[in-house]
Amino acid sequence: MIVLSDVRKAFGPVQALRGVSFEVADGRITGLLGPNGAGKTTALRVVYGVMAPDSGRATVDGVDLAADRLAAQARLGVLAHAQGLYPRLTAREHLRYAGRLRGLSGAALEARIDALVDLLDLSEFADRRTDGFSQGQKLKVALARALVHDPGNVVLDEPTSGLDVAGTRAVRALLGRLRDEGRCVLFSTHVMQEVSVLCDRVVVIARGQVVAEGTPEELRARTGQASLEDAFVAAIGSEEGLA
Amino acid sequence: MRRGIRWDLLGVVFAKEVVDNLRDRRALAMALFFPLFGPAVMALVLTMVSKQARTVEDHPLSLPVVAAERAPNLVAFLVERGVDVATPPADPEAAVRAGDADVVLAIPEEHGARLREGKPAPVRLYLDESRASARPAVERVKRLLEAYSRRLGAQRLLLRGVHPAVGEALAVEQVDLATPQSRAGLLLGVLPYFLVLALFTGGMAVAIDATAGERERQSLEPLLLHPVPRSAVVLGKLLATALYSAVALCETTIGFGLVPVALPLERLGFAIRLDPAVLLRLVTLLLPLLVLVAGVMILVAARARTFKAAQSTLSFLMLVPAMPGMVLAFTPVKLQTWMLLVPAWGEQLLVTRLIRGEDVPLGWQAAAMGSTAAWAAAAAYLAIRAFRSEAFLFGRSG
Repeated sequence: MIVLSDVRKAFGPVQALRGVSFEVADGRITGLLGPNGAGKTTALRVVYGVMAPDSGRATVDGVDLAADRLAAQARLGVLAHAQGLYPRLTAREHLRYAGRLRGLSGAALEARIDALVDLLDLSEFADRRTDGFSQGQKLKVALARALVHDPGNVVLDEPTSGLDVAGTRAVRALLGRLRDEGRCVLFSTHVMQEVSVLCDRVVVIARGQVVAEGTPEELRARTGQASLEDAFVAAIGSEEGLA
Repeated sequence: MRRGIRWDLLGVVFAKEVVDNLRDRRALAMALFFPLFGPAVMALVLTMVSKQARTVEDHPLSLPVVAAERAPNLVAFLVERGVDVATPPADPEAAVRAGDADVVLAIPEEHGARLREGKPAPVRLYLDESRASARPAVERVKRLLEAYSRRLGAQRLLLRGVHPAVGEALAVEQVDLATPQSRAGLLLGVLPYFLVLALFTGGMAVAIDATAGERERQSLEPLLLHPVPRSAVVLGKLLATALYSAVALCETTIGFGLVPVALPLERLGFAIRLDPAVLLRLVTLLLPLLVLVAGVMILVAARARTFKAAQSTLSFLMLVPAMPGMVLAFTPVKLQTWMLLVPAWGEQLLVTRLIRGEDVPLGWQAAAMGSTAAWAAAAAYLAIRAFRSEAFLFGRSG
């Protein structure tokens, strides 16, 4: 469970977040939808503890990030905005590094790595250096790295950007699976179609503020629009930056 | 916030950086090759110096003399002193300018007449002051001509019933205090800098790869979202950098240690103290500096905008500790206590003394090492603080 309450963040004169509050429940997929530059990435960075808010609170399973960043981060699996890999390490070594940084080791870690190699279908390139991997292969490694400690909360920043159809479908299947296992899943996107296919709940964010929140049906009803797309445009007030 | 360092996590970061950079073949080759540069230069210089010394001492001096027949007594004197009087070139000026002859002696036409009149008889030397390799030959010819001049003068005084000693108001006595060690130490003034240089070249690739490189390839954010204290991340990277620097330092030190073994320096009058005990003391002395250099490189590279920017800044930075070394090489300074406390300078002064075979009190060594250790701690602290800033993480300035 992830909670943001009245989170504000400014970069110089630019107000990136102007009091953002929302809750992300366990066993649900929550989509953070908004046009480019709405503050999605900043909000997620506050959640996974690489940015401190100017004011307001973010908690993971009740642990305040400001009070105990490490304990909160330990409860999160994250596909960050930056998804870079080490070109001279193999896919398996990436998972091992992430696992060790989270205090795992030995047979338990190796078993978990094997399970992820199976789950994400990495076996073909698991022992190759990541230099020269395709976009899809890189994303799979980054996803496996995020899940190496079997986290109860999963946060993903634009997990399907740059992927082909097969890759996108695989990621969606994975998110569904994580939800069915009872985890709390929060992901950001600017692709509306993704929201309607995947999300149990939607948080619409624009210009650093939450402008609408609810199930896709609730959003349609509230805005009085027949299609989800029109509902979003009505909520955001503009078509700019959506896809 | 928990206090204390998470050594387990620090070890994870350290091990990853060591292995990752070990696979960067090109950077590794450079890191292993550069430390040998200093010893190679020293071996080359010493070989050339020893060759030159042998040329001067063993070989007869060959001196082309133009119109030798005008001064038969002078020529006889030169031959008697071991000079090989050679056939003069057609154009003495051109020959010296081209470097075909080190020095050419010419006897002008009026030489004989002036000599008979008892007036100073002209002789002309063609030489090039700017050519270092010709200097020993030039000096030797000048000394011989002066000796001949003095001898003639003394004979003239005796003929007039005056004791030659009357013409010599001063008797200059030279007492050369250069010990074999100190003569070598002058030549080896650059050795301390090569040791400091090894600290930079050894770890530079790692320091950049682990900071600016990590950010540039977008792997920094994924690293920092792990539940790891920043101190463990930074110190892991710092110690990995220091390990590569330490390997380079040992390489350079052993290289310098092998030079006196490979070259017959004792015969040249160069007794350099580079035995294992001294080498071990050099490495020990440089340990705090090793950490300081690693910390400064991490700090500077972390603040650079890009990999390339980090590279050029560090390449410049590595010249800074050379400045005292340069000064030492050309104008040896008298050691002052405060100098010991300046990081890199204090170490270089003490290294110079050690290889000159001079006494270095343990108190001095402790002062230099303690001061540098304090600076190293400050650099490490600043590096950790840099990693805590969002500006560093996301590449914004300020």
